[in-house]
Amino acid sequence: MLETVDLCVSFGAVKALSGMNLTVPRGEVTAVIGANGAGKSTLMRTLAGLVTPQSGQVLFDGKSIAGNKPEDIVRTGLALVPEGRSTIPELTVEENLRLGGLWRDRSERGASKNLVFDLFPILGERASMRADTLSGGERQQLAIGRALMSDPKCLLLDEPSLGLAPLIVTQILELVSRLAKETNLAVLLVEQNAVTALRVATTGVVLNLGEVVKSGSAYEISSDEELRHAYLGY
Amino acid sequence: MTNFIDYLLGGFSNGAVIALMALALVLVWRSTRMVNFAQVGQAMFTTYVALTIQQSTGNWLLALVVAIGAGAILGVIVFFLVIRPVKNSDSTGAIIATFGVLIALQAGAGMIWGGDPQGFIPPVDNAGLEFAGRIWPISPYDILVLSATAALVIGLTLLFTKTSLGLSMRASAFNPEVARLSGVRVNRMLISGWAIAGATGAIGGVLIAPASTISPNSFDILLVFAFTAAVIGGLDSLIGAVTFGIGTGLVISLVSGYSDSGNAAIVALVLLALNLLLKPDGVFGHHGARSV
Repeated sequence: MLETVDLCVSFGAVKALSGMNLTVPRGEVTAVIGANGAGKSTLMRTLAGLVTPQSGQVLFDGKSIAGNKPEDIVRTGLALVPEGRSTIPELTVEENLRLGGLWRDRSERGASKNLVFDLFPILGERASMRADTLSGGERQQLAIGRALMSDPKCLLLDEPSLGLAPLIVTQILELVSRLAKETNLAVLLVEQNAVTALRVATTGVVLNLGEVVKSGSAYEISSDEELRHAYLGY
Repeated sequence: MTNFIDYLLGGFSNGAVIALMALALVLVWRSTRMVNFAQVGQAMFTTYVALTIQQSTGNWLLALVVAIGAGAILGVIVFFLVIRPVKNSDSTGAIIATFGVLIALQAGAGMIWGGDPQGFIPPVDNAGLEFAGRIWPISPYDILVLSATAALVIGLTLLFTKTSLGLSMRASAFNPEVARLSGVRVNRMLISGWAIAGATGAIGGVLIAPASTISPNSFDILLVFAFTAAVIGGLDSLIGAVTFGIGTGLVISLVSGYSDSGNAAIVALVLLALNLLLKPDGVFGHHGARSV
């Protein structure tokens, strides 16, 4: 589905990603874990088109998309939920969602909206309220909902646990993982919180200083004690 | 008391035009986060275009429509030729550049149409209406100006709140990155903002011209008033621009009536300074929307 080949990104003299190879299959959650500064957010921003790589390929559905504009990439079915405040607080919940799929046909948009409201019923209840009246967990649901409005084939989640209570994070991620299985959606999840991420993921990838140090099944990664001590800090 | 009511009524029509110019400033602010000091220059230029059309065809409505189109195009031209190349490297530079555009437009208008003030014939009578045994300071033309302003404000509000274009423009202004990630072509939204602002300013110019005369510098004072209204309104708020645009019109009318019209600009600047001291976010602005 989504694949990177020898992806390199640098900011000036700083190499953020050096020769990254990654595959994200459909129907499951792939978790990229690693400490602060490992290159996780850079990876996500590069995939979504916000950062242009120096070299290497990003293949989506077999087509090279590296260097394309973010507004074009999302239209091909690759949607990013960026880290932190990724809703627009001045807009209502309904407007935030509508924004996610403005370029699509009205009827298709309606179907996506129903799907989002089924997945996150609270958004339906709060539809006419401004996004800044929502709680942190509700806002994260809204951010994911906005991305789903584009009817993505692949969903990129950048650090969704940031600033949220563990229970809420687990609930949201389990919903996403179920959605991945049921609708054959590819999900790439980037997390500092390795425990939570590996619990919902099928595959785990450990990133350190811009390089993949280990990839394997989520179980394999979470039971590798040495790996945990060295890179994940627990 | 009669004087007071007369001064107040006389201020509405002027206030409506200030509101339109303030709206144009707000529209640019919302799309590009900068003040376009060339806005009145663009309006002056398109009003000359309207004057030329009216003089050759005698058709006011046609002149207005052409001015609106010219205003939109001129807004886009200014954005592409001056703002975009400068703004990427230096956003204060872009604001200074708008002063350059203002001066260039004034010089250009002087070369094309000459520096002498010219009259603009209103499409309907501009003399005060007689009612209940006396003449009131409101003319049929004032009523036209007020209705046109009201229609435009309602239209812009609907555009921003009900349409996809409006939602895209608001999203682009609030958070360009999230807008792009949602598939919005943010650059096009910036251009739309400048075009709509230019068209709004053009309507303001054509509407105010019959009240006095038009010359390359005749709208300069309007910039002071519109800027005051836009800033007091919060720079970000359509309703703020309209409210304080009309409010500024009323204050000017009262100041001119009771003292001298030369004092109006001073009073406006004092109000602006007081606002910035006491409520730096503007009356309708939300915190952090505007940094001065």
